[in-house]
Amino acid sequence: MSFNVLVVDDSMSMRAVIKKIITLSGFQMDKCLEASNGRQGLELLADNWVDVILSDINMPEMNGLQFLEELAKNETLREIPVIMITTEGSGERMEEAFKRGAKGFIKKPFLPEQIRKVLYDVIGVGENGRYEEDPRNTDELDF
Amino acid sequence: MADMKKIQEILMNSIFDVYEKMFFVFLEPMDDAVKYDMAASIRFSGVFNGEIRAYLNTDMARSMVENMLGLEPPEISVKQMEDCAKESINMICGSFLERLSPQAVFDLSVPEGELKSGVFKKDDPGTLNLAFDSDGQLLGITLSIKSSK
Repeated sequence: MSFNVLVVDDSMSMRAVIKKIITLSGFQMDKCLEASNGRQGLELLADNWVDVILSDINMPEMNGLQFLEELAKNETLREIPVIMITTEGSGERMEEAFKRGAKGFIKKPFLPEQIRKVLYDVIGVGENGRYEEDPRNTDELDF
Repeated sequence: MADMKKIQEILMNSIFDVYEKMFFVFLEPMDDAVKYDMAASIRFSGVFNGEIRAYLNTDMARSMVENMLGLEPPEISVKQMEDCAKESINMICGSFLERLSPQAVFDLSVPEGELKSGVFKKDDPGTLNLAFDSDGQLLGITLSIKSSK
């Protein structure tokens, strides 16, 4: 079983490194779509189904919190789990994101294994693509 | 708010954390001036307001892209170097504010980058200035806290 992923971040370097980490982590990714803000993310979602979204908060045009709001308005899109990957890590900001529907939170700077852990926790699968009760059986990744 | 010595320590730890974790660059503090080729800045507002600026030479920016994205120097573009500089200052700012005021919420601007050359000196009295070296890869950082509520 493989998954489609959408990475939303205004930094092309950050999008590239997230994509690389997901690929190297053994996560079975079929397609990785990229958007540089929430507006572009919504445009991609109009024509493509993804299984999980990883989104920054601080972006021009439509930020990550506004993006979450727009997803929540749509009956289909609100079902897609969203993981926030952001520099803005205050408790209040995290709570705000979770209230708007985020399912996971990763603070930048991050280690590759943090992305893998949260991704597997949120989507509920192990490296073999099977759904697992508790996927926290990860070894440290060496990039 | 913490005193300037504490603020400097927190800022330095944030810079080390970001450069080591994301760019695999290990910085040594230095007193020399930094000849830079590009700059990046971010503003923040909340319980206090301010700005953090980074000044990098090309060797530093190239190394950041090389290490972060696993690219070879001929493949690296100026756009990628500028993007890494902006993202680094974004992460430093977020990390710094969280360590300084864990309970406070700040709004961060979208980072801005600029291709310009100059010399960064640590003696500007209006800002907190830090300079770093990593085998000739140079970085200067300034923090200015403009006002508080």
